[in-house]
Amino acid sequence: MTALLLRLAAPLQSWGTSSRFVRRNTDRAPSRSGIIGLLAAAKGIRRIDPIQHLLELRIGVRVEQPGQLERDFQTARTRDGSESMPLSYRFYLADAVFAVAVEGDQSTLDGLSAALNRPAFPLFLGRRSCPPAGKLEHGIHEGDVEHVLRTVPWMASPRIRQCHRQPQVQLDTIIDCSPGSAGSDVVRDDPISFDPRHRQYGWHTVAHRPVTVTNPDYHVDDRDVHDPMDLLGSVS
Amino acid sequence: MHLTRFQINPARRGARELLASPHRMHGAVLAAFPPDRRDATTDGRVLWRLDQRAHQTTLYIVSPHEPELTHLVEAAGWAAAPGDTRPYAPLLHRLTAGDMWAFRLTANPVRSTRKTDDATRSQRFGHVTVKQQTTWLLDRANGHGFTIPEGTGKEPDVAVHSRRTWRFQRQGKAVTLATATFEGRLEITDPDAFRHALAHGIGPAKGYGCGLLTIARMT
Repeated sequence: MTALLLRLAAPLQSWGTSSRFVRRNTDRAPSRSGIIGLLAAAKGIRRIDPIQHLLELRIGVRVEQPGQLERDFQTARTRDGSESMPLSYRFYLADAVFAVAVEGDQSTLDGLSAALNRPAFPLFLGRRSCPPAGKLEHGIHEGDVEHVLRTVPWMASPRIRQCHRQPQVQLDTIIDCSPGSAGSDVVRDDPISFDPRHRQYGWHTVAHRPVTVTNPDYHVDDRDVHDPMDLLGSVS
Repeated sequence: MHLTRFQINPARRGARELLASPHRMHGAVLAAFPPDRRDATTDGRVLWRLDQRAHQTTLYIVSPHEPELTHLVEAAGWAAAPGDTRPYAPLLHRLTAGDMWAFRLTANPVRSTRKTDDATRSQRFGHVTVKQQTTWLLDRANGHGFTIPEGTGKEPDVAVHSRRTWRFQRQGKAVTLATATFEGRLEITDPDAFRHALAHGIGPAKGYGCGLLTIARMT
């Protein structure tokens, strides 16, 4: 098994799975439909095109840094400015980082990897106003989703890693699993069709399990480099 | 002259009282000397500095006489770490022009000016920006027998950190003190003037933990 590793980081992300009407929520982690939509956009698949081959991918998310929830109160007017549009609340995750492992066969992942580096459509993290920051695609790794998310180094921002001051960190993972697995949740964000005329989402099962990874920025050595006593020789 | 290093145990109540007020720390440092050994001599004067890091708080003292730190160990230290005092004179005599050292200095950069045009006397006002504080040090370097060479990027090789404004009580009155810690590289130009700077301190507020310049090997 092989898995493609992505790092989703941006000033703002928004991953809605259940919003209706004027309150547009975000989940605390990327949704399966959002990630498949991102991959489809990179490949240049239009909304009305079939996405069957992408639905076979198995996806796992690791929360590198959870970020903060932000609420945007949005007003808008019609194009000619005469009437106001409905007032809406839009929710975003600010300063969050996620590692995403996409498991599939080698040739599919090679194609996706190339597409992410030369995307056909602009890429965004859940909402058009949330372009990704930094490097998105982090190569193809040996092993299944669980293995990759257990072994890749912590990908939080350097400042977060340095402030952690612990040799290890526990991160939450949300991984697709077979229905009926112990301790799993059922969520409705498996995209069947992105066609704007009849969007459809199916149910799928995810497992939440924390993993422990090492903190690459933890250094035991906290000694002061400035040592004036060193010049004075031993105690007399 | 002597240089002393003392580890402070911040978990002790006495330590917290001392760390909260340079006035109290000044008293505790002076109490390490008998009354007739507290004044400045021709060799130098009592200077002290606190180096605070995430997990370590160190008190450095430069003094003409050897300090007696028992009261500090009891109030704010560890019995297992009674402090380390070493003679400073051998190093002071070894300094020659052209030596390069890493240095650290916590100082009180100020300028003296009249508060208003019709004020009769001038007052000290603390420099508060990095630029002002760096300029303050660079202006004084020559007079104290050293220069700060350029590092990478054609800037003087000195960094300012731990800038803070202290407010504490002294005999019921509020004292305000802007301090900054300078760290970088220096080259000795005038060994006598530099020895004087090491033993007598740089800038004002020397009683309050400012002005003690230390040198160390470059890393």
